[in-house]
Parts: sequence; C-alpha cells; structure tokens
Amino acid sequence: MTLLRSPLHDRHVALGAKLAEFGGWEMPLEYAGGGVLAEHRAVREAVGVFDVSHLGTLRVTGEGAAALVDGTLTNDLGRIGPGQAQYTLCCDESGGVVDDLIVYRVSDTDLLLVPNAANAAEVARRLVAVAPAGVDITDLHEDEAIIAVQGPASDAVLQAMGLPTGHDYMAFESGLLGDRRVTVCRSGYTGEVGYELVVEADGALAVWDAVMAAGETHGVRACGLGARDTLRTEMGYPLHGQDLSLEISPVMARSGWAVGWDKPAFWGRDALVAQREDKTVPLLRGLRATGRGIPRAGMTVLGASGEPAGTVTSGTFSPTLRTGVGLALLDRSVGFGDQVTVDVRGRAELFDVVKPPFVEASTR
Amino acid sequence: MYPDDLKYSPEHEWVRIDGDTATVGITDYAQEQLGDIVFVQLPETGEDVEPGSVIGELESTKSVSDLFAPVSGQVISRNEALDSSPEVVNSDPYGEGWLIKVRVDADEQLDDLMDAAAYEASLGG
Repeated sequence: MTLLRSPLHDRHVALGAKLAEFGGWEMPLEYAGGGVLAEHRAVREAVGVFDVSHLGTLRVTGEGAAALVDGTLTNDLGRIGPGQAQYTLCCDESGGVVDDLIVYRVSDTDLLLVPNAANAAEVARRLVAVAPAGVDITDLHEDEAIIAVQGPASDAVLQAMGLPTGHDYMAFESGLLGDRRVTVCRSGYTGEVGYELVVEADGALAVWDAVMAAGETHGVRACGLGARDTLRTEMGYPLHGQDLSLEISPVMARSGWAVGWDKPAFWGRDALVAQREDKTVPLLRGLRATGRGIPRAGMTVLGASGEPAGTVTSGTFSPTLRTGVGLALLDRSVGFGDQVTVDVRGRAELFDVVKPPFVEASTR
Repeated sequence: MYPDDLKYSPEHEWVRIDGDTATVGITDYAQEQLGDIVFVQLPETGEDVEPGSVIGELESTKSVSDLFAPVSGQVISRNEALDSSPEVVNSDPYGEGWLIKVRVDADEQLDDLMDAAAYEASLGG
C-alpha cells in the first residue's frame, strides 16, 4: 500500500525527521537534533509544533446535520454551542469504540468531525449509511491539514502570526493568515495550553513556516508522533487502537464523561448502559512505576497475590517524572492505591495504581 | 562516526581492546536507531558472558533492544553513571557512554568482530 503524505512532507524531510507509518500515513516520529525528550520538553516548557494532518476531516452539512451527529456519536451535542468543539466517540452496537474524535460545531447545519487517520473512512461509512436526505458527509481527509501548536508560549506564537488567541478551552475561532482562512481551536493532545489549526492543504506550508518563524524566539521545536505519545500518556489521554478499541468500551476506559447518558439514542447506547449498570467490566487505570520498570502495551499485570489482573494498554517512560507510566485495563478487584506487578520481559516490576493524569494538566 | 581503533559486532556493539580488557558500548548507528535512551540494564560485575548471549537491555522512549555480549569473558566493571544519566549513551556513545568492561578469556579470538570499514559497509553505506 502506498502511504499517504502530508502536504508538509518536504519540511519534515528537510528537518531530518525519522518517518514512520501511522494509520496509512507516513509521518514524522521525531526530528534530527531533537528527539523525543527534547521535543517533549519544548512542549512542556516553551512551544512545540506538530503536523497532525494524518487526522481525518469529515464535514457534515445540511438540514439535520447536528441531529445526525447527536443521534449517533456518544457525547451530548447540546453541551456545546456554535463555535465550540467537543470530544466524542463513535461506538458500534455492542459498545465497542470504532473511533474517538473531535466535533467542531460551526452551526446546526455545518459540523466538522476530526477522527483518527486509520478510522476516518469507517466513521464516514457508518454516518453515510444512516444519513437522511439533505445531510451530506464529505471526506476532506487529504484536502485539509491540521497543525497543532502546543505549550506555554503558544499564545505568543499565534499572536505574532495575527491569529486569534485566548478563547475558551475547546472553543474555536476563524482567523486569517495572508489570504488563508485558518480555524483556530483551543485544543490539543498534550495537556498544555495550545491550539489546533485547521487549514486547506495547500495553505499548510504557509502556516507551518509562519509558526516556525514566529516561534523562533520562543524556542519552538518541530515535534513528532513520539513526543505526542509521551505527552498524551502523561495526561492519561487514551489512544484509539490501544486504550480504546472495539474491545475496550468508553465504560471500561472511564470515558463515560464523553457519553450523553440522558440522550434517547446513540450508537451502542443499550450495551453501554448495561455495562455501566452491571459494574463487572474491567476498568482502565493508571500505573506508575515505583522502580525502574517501563510498562509497554500488551504486558500482563498481576495482582497482590500474583493472579493475572489485567493488561497494559499503553506505556512509556515519562520524561517529566523520569519514571515509567502507563494505562492498563484492570479487573475490578484492583483499585486506586493498590500496588500491582507488571511482567516486564520476565522481570517483576512494581507499580502503583493511580488515577491519571500523571502530570498536572495546564490546558486551561 | 566509526572510530578506526575499535572492533564492531553485527549487533552494533563496539569493543575497545586494551591488554586483556575489552570496553564495550553501542555504536553511533545503534544509538541513533534507538532514539533517546531512558533506561540501561547491565550485567553485574563478576558475571561470565559469552558472544551472542543477552546480557542487558537498552530502553528508549519508544522501544527496547537487547544488549548482546560481543566477546567472552568476565564482567569486571559496569558504567554505574548510566543509572542516573542513560542519555550519555546517545550523546557520547564511544566515550562516557561506554557500558561494561570485560576481562577477555585467554582463548578469545575476536573472530566475529569487524573493523570500522567492514562495519560501516555492513550498514549498507
């Protein structure tokens, strides 16, 4: 399969990026002269810029567009108004997660969905299958670029670019860079103050170059998917395909806050309500190493008496804490405050079971 | 990038021979492939090692690699500084980022090791 490339591909190559396949796209993992730790630090202490153009973009338009989204995806669209965005989930009828995504509510007849690269087509297919006449679903995956500017200096960088800043968390505003319209959303996947800039693909170079130029005095670094993963893991943000999946429901992932439980209908509602009331499904919890072990996805977690108690779904070295952290799907017998053992390639490493985030979020 | 005074293993370790002592580290190529190293697990002093056996691990933010013994002998020293500063393996792989010192067995021929030119050629140029 030929990998898709971001409109910023040449910039990544010029910056000496190590490229990797992600969701069918060839994207930067880390950059020369940086590396995951330096890129991670730039976001926590200054500002980092990520090309996340692999993320999908689906536009849902027409009379009934908002009702379609509200009646299918989990979150209650009524919690946000025009100009606001929301984290939500696309579940199947058994409550498994087809994808997690962001919905931008431009108006009741114009919504932008941002699903993950690998799942964008499937989300589109499911929506198209049930869309009433008059609602159009347009896949803009390769037509739109998304650039995330994240970190305490992101306000200053965007101000220098003449783009809107300072709006509420998860709100978006429209700005201009030259003659390019840029949607600026106060959102991200790092736990820092930051923005995600949506621009037509042929405007991506101009936005990227402007961020790098405006960020120079603030120590901006281009950041790859490696740092994106360590940053989101420190926040305990789930990654679809690891911590959320067709097998790991929002109830299990403790993502019930993104479900509109009072809504009469959304995909997976009956199964999820049953799981929530049943209280037997395993739950996603945080693991923090007490020793030197670094948990990795797929490793077995053992309870106090050595019995299997679950599986690590994500794990990494936390650059901020300088210790191993991870997320694990654990049986109900394990709770916060307990200590568990993870089989780290034959070594028994101890971890505290904690409630994420591992590092305090500064998104607001 | 690949000093001429060192020998190299197919598993991307370098060996500096000084009398009967071999200092072992990983090559610049290996540290570059691993990315930022965050945890180094080394064999204990006194442990006997033989070529090809797994004697430790190098873990980066994103992956784990086994460390293989490039020679046979007994571990006489390990780089304790890497417990607190594993990143030195990235920044100075041939110097401060050394891993272990081994007293090489008398009958060790070092036959499986390459010189710098052969190692570089093995990387495909």
